[in-house]
Amino acid sequence: MSELSRRAFLAASGLAVVTRGSLVNPSSAWAAPKTGIAAPAFTASATTGKALSLADQRGKIVVLEWTNHECPYVRKHYETGNMQALQKEATGQGVVWLTIISSAPGTQGFVSAGEADQLTTSRQAAPTAVLLDPTGAVGKMYGATNTPHMYVIDKVGTLMYAGAIDDRPTTRRSDVQGAQNYVREALQAVAAGQPVKTPVTRAYGCTVKYA
Amino acid sequence: MRLRITVALALTLVLALVADVATPMSAAETPSPLVRAELLSETASIRPGETFWVALRQEITPGWHTYWGVNPGDAGEPTRIEWRLPAGVTAGEIAWPYPSRFPVGIAMSYGYENGVVLPIPMTVSGAVAPGTTLALRGQVSWLVCAKICIPEEAPVALSLPVTAETTRPNPRGAALIAAARRNLPVPSPWPASYVATPETVTLSVTARDLTPERVAEVWFYPSRWGTIAHAAPQRARLEPGHLTLEVERGQLADAATTPLDGVLVVTEQLDGGLVRQAFALRAEPRPASNARTTLRALALALAGGLVLNLMPCVLPVLSVKTLALVGHAGGRAALRRHGLAYTAGVLVSFAVVAGALLALRAGGEQIGWGFQLQSPTVVILLAYVLFAVALSLSGVFTVSGRFAGAGHALAGRAGYTGSFFTGALATVAATPCTAPFMGAAVGYAVTRPWPIALMIFEALALGLALPFLLLTLVPKWRRFLPSPGPWMERLKQALAFPLYASVAWLVWVVSQQTGSSGVAAALGGLLLVGFAAWLHQTSRGARLTWRRAATLAVAALVLGAVALGPLTAAVSSPPAAARADGWEPFTDARLAELRAAGKPVFVNVTAAWCLTCLVNERVALRSPGVTDALARRGVATLRADWTNRDPAITRVLGSFGRNGVPLYLLYPAGASGAPAVLPQILSERAIVDALNTL
Repeated sequence: MSELSRRAFLAASGLAVVTRGSLVNPSSAWAAPKTGIAAPAFTASATTGKALSLADQRGKIVVLEWTNHECPYVRKHYETGNMQALQKEATGQGVVWLTIISSAPGTQGFVSAGEADQLTTSRQAAPTAVLLDPTGAVGKMYGATNTPHMYVIDKVGTLMYAGAIDDRPTTRRSDVQGAQNYVREALQAVAAGQPVKTPVTRAYGCTVKYA
Repeated sequence: MRLRITVALALTLVLALVADVATPMSAAETPSPLVRAELLSETASIRPGETFWVALRQEITPGWHTYWGVNPGDAGEPTRIEWRLPAGVTAGEIAWPYPSRFPVGIAMSYGYENGVVLPIPMTVSGAVAPGTTLALRGQVSWLVCAKICIPEEAPVALSLPVTAETTRPNPRGAALIAAARRNLPVPSPWPASYVATPETVTLSVTARDLTPERVAEVWFYPSRWGTIAHAAPQRARLEPGHLTLEVERGQLADAATTPLDGVLVVTEQLDGGLVRQAFALRAEPRPASNARTTLRALALALAGGLVLNLMPCVLPVLSVKTLALVGHAGGRAALRRHGLAYTAGVLVSFAVVAGALLALRAGGEQIGWGFQLQSPTVVILLAYVLFAVALSLSGVFTVSGRFAGAGHALAGRAGYTGSFFTGALATVAATPCTAPFMGAAVGYAVTRPWPIALMIFEALALGLALPFLLLTLVPKWRRFLPSPGPWMERLKQALAFPLYASVAWLVWVVSQQTGSSGVAAALGGLLLVGFAAWLHQTSRGARLTWRRAATLAVAALVLGAVALGPLTAAVSSPPAAARADGWEPFTDARLAELRAAGKPVFVNVTAAWCLTCLVNERVALRSPGVTDALARRGVATLRADWTNRDPAITRVLGSFGRNGVPLYLLYPAGASGAPAVLPQILSERAIVDALNTL
């Protein structure tokens, strides 16, 4: 009985949390954007040389994928074909998939536009576009700490998911089979207009090589 | 060794270069590892049926780091071992020394540089035959990072002979493991709580023995990702006896409602240089805006007080008081005044007890609700009072000769004082009982500033006083009482027996607290009280001089009895002998050890003076069904006995938002799972169900 009342206590103090989404989050160097509110707006240049902005994607579900092709965790998902399969599955359903490279020049994973396109071809990847963010401005705006670090944004621009690609934080290729893929789950929920069951997870991988 | 470091350094350079020209690099292509792993043992031999410690030692190339297993931070991956152990040997979880931090831009990693020794408990079954040699093998995998990260893995192995004799030491392993143990977080001696806003988390630690001038740095390493922003600065404020740490909040939404676990590393500037200490901390959430929760706690306290009326400690006292209402002839006003006097008695005595509790806690004492019963003197005095009341119910003596019966006494002025003290008595008698709702309310109260805490205790008091108060205030309700008759006298006499039983139980409590000499003193005192009661009554019909002499004698006897009480306090308490019922005495260290060994653990926080606890033990904990289920699931059982004062146990209670017993905790197997808190009123079914979820 007292356990019940303890839970009731927690529920009462949880009210503060429920109203959280309606508050405007002050920007800060450390706070990652919260899920459930508008995803930060950005414009970045794609490997095609054209500028691409998030605002133009309204009406479509958007996936952001931070990457660094030399990171062992990224390689796990590309060398097993896991990432490419998810990209094809998503873009096939009209999802905009943006792969973002925030490695600063001279650091691991930094590539020119040509090299990036070459990687896409050689790895048979299927993103809608690859964005170059050598200053790390977009990455820091999203609090992207890892490669891979994944985000899902719904059709009206609300951030619905932020975190890991799946629940196996390892570099073992055999772990891809049977993993719970959070991004796929989030995409399915968003497409069905339902809340994402796990909106935030700890991303795993290498750190993003900011300047 | 030097050669290896040179090679490693050269390799680091090569890797950096390779990274610069953006050529893929993986572990398979790495010619030599950045980390050398080795398995150590504390002993050179092992004995069947014992737990022994091994350790994984990592020698890490300078400039690189491996990760903390509890929480690697924003990136990274903890070191893991996949064991291949011979039959009869089981490995526990790694005991992680406190980490260092490695900031990488907006991310933060927690881990180790240069080298680390990770202790691991191993258990060898009694069935393993002496004379054999056991080969412990494992495949260790880790991630090692500097600017870039490399996953590595290596096999480790160790062979240990099994002997029947005492184990032989292994000096090198023992020295390294002993050094590593000094870096393991110890349970924090300080109560902690935190307040979360949408942007920040403020950790508040009652760090009594911390001298602000000496503290060079404090850092909180959370056990779970997403509770705080790892990379954000931690703003520490140190005042004498208190530490607050403000940091930006993490991304998890439930971070504001669940206990915050982590390791607090305090660096102090001492004469010998910098000294680091790591404390395993659990902070309970404290709501930032508390008006709502305080109201809730007040409501819970009121409900708890109401239910207290039905508890075996209070019911007899109250029934007698209610009997006095039956057939009462006095005016309504007089009745109302009795009700109010009784209520005042309850409120005032609650204020006194709660005030003392809060004052002592503010003074740094680790005590909780029911603390007064931790003193054998108070227990003995309570036994005297209950004994005297019981004697009077039995008809051995009457309190006042001026009024013929209880009904008349109610009308007199002395009656009001009587009502007041009945209230006080009800309060004192109520302390050993815990009613439902009370635990959460009292636990919440003691974390609040004193005016709010006192309000909650008074709500509890009001709940206790309310039924009687209403009977006196609303005349209509008295219609539900039966009509007067000779049955009243018999019922009154019968009600003496629960009180005698309470006295017998209190004497047993004294025996638990002080041993046989305390019992002797208590029984002697009861004898004096009995004699005084008889003398008081027999001398009533005598001449004035005799009456005066008798009054003096009664006063002397009562004083004598009272003096016997404190005598027992001087008697040292008996050693906490392990009772032969399979329940081990609780210590933080023992709990940590059992958990490190991967065992599920049931902790029973109890006290001899806690009636609710004793009933739970009798009907649920010691029932064959529960004993069976505990044994079947290999659950280790610990009893934390709070009969006497024990700050360590008070801290355990505090860390679960409680301030009184009973408390039942079920820790799942594995060192990291949070324990389940079982209800305060137990049933066999509830425990077995909880065990089934293990």
